[in-house]
Amino acid sequence: MIKSVSFKGTSYAEIPFKFEAGTPDIAGIIGLGKAIEFLTTIGINEVEKHESELLRYGTRLLEEIDGVHIVGVAPKKMGILSFMIEGIHPHDIGTILDQEGVAIRAGHHCAQPLMERLGVAATARASLGIYNTTNELDQLGHAIEKTIDLMS
Amino acid sequence: MSDLRELYQTTILDHNKHPRNFGELPDANKKAHGDNPLCGDKITIFVDVDRDLVKAVRFHGSGCAISKASASMMTEQIEGKSLVEANELFLNFQEMVTSDPIQPVDTSGLGKLSVFAGVREFPMRIKCATLCWHTFKAAVNNQTETVKTEE
Repeated sequence: MIKSVSFKGTSYAEIPFKFEAGTPDIAGIIGLGKAIEFLTTIGINEVEKHESELLRYGTRLLEEIDGVHIVGVAPKKMGILSFMIEGIHPHDIGTILDQEGVAIRAGHHCAQPLMERLGVAATARASLGIYNTTNELDQLGHAIEKTIDLMS
Repeated sequence: MSDLRELYQTTILDHNKHPRNFGELPDANKKAHGDNPLCGDKITIFVDVDRDLVKAVRFHGSGCAISKASASMMTEQIEGKSLVEANELFLNFQEMVTSDPIQPVDTSGLGKLSVFAGVREFPMRIKCATLCWHTFKAAVNNQTETVKTEE
């Protein structure tokens, strides 16, 4: 930020304002405030409990489908379910699940060295949050079964 | 589901499971690598060009069903064709998969490759289908740099 600008010269505001050029990310700041409010209203422990319940439910669900392998089973893992389906590339899984109304991420997840270590080109990954439900996990399960059916 | 069947046609699934012309070509006099850094697809195309004729073409690499089937069917279609004919096929193919999905699809001259018409409904997947073609073009043009779908 400047203090004053003229054809004779420019002077800058005091640090730290000097380094704050343009309009700050006001919408982002308000959004962050609302997100914190949302989480504190529910309580972070409740969030953690809900996520780990979903994770447990989802893990059991995927383990029961033939040909599905979960990648990453650390005991204190957060609410993510990375998985592979035998013989089906994660990008094909992503497209088919998308058509079934289930949004996941597919690819190397910006972690190519890890993919190399795991010996895979890519994985499919469902992320679970406070806003997800066990019904949605059932929907994921059905969509995975449809994927296997379609691609075989 | 009907859109999905349109995308994953039986022919495509068959070529995905049993890719034709898959492997290296020791006699290749042209070769190029292609990468899709966003999804991690990798392909190498080997071509044996005799004057202006594609005598043999092979590919290897890893990728999704669309990219593998596209490469497999491309090699089947261009083997035995002249470079001019192969390029014409490439242009028609690219035209088809990037055309507006609400317009009637033009598959003229594409023969078996018209099974990829469904790709135009899935913008994210167009690059999966075209990577092999761009890599083939790079090979015959003696381009040594890896072809990338993203800059």
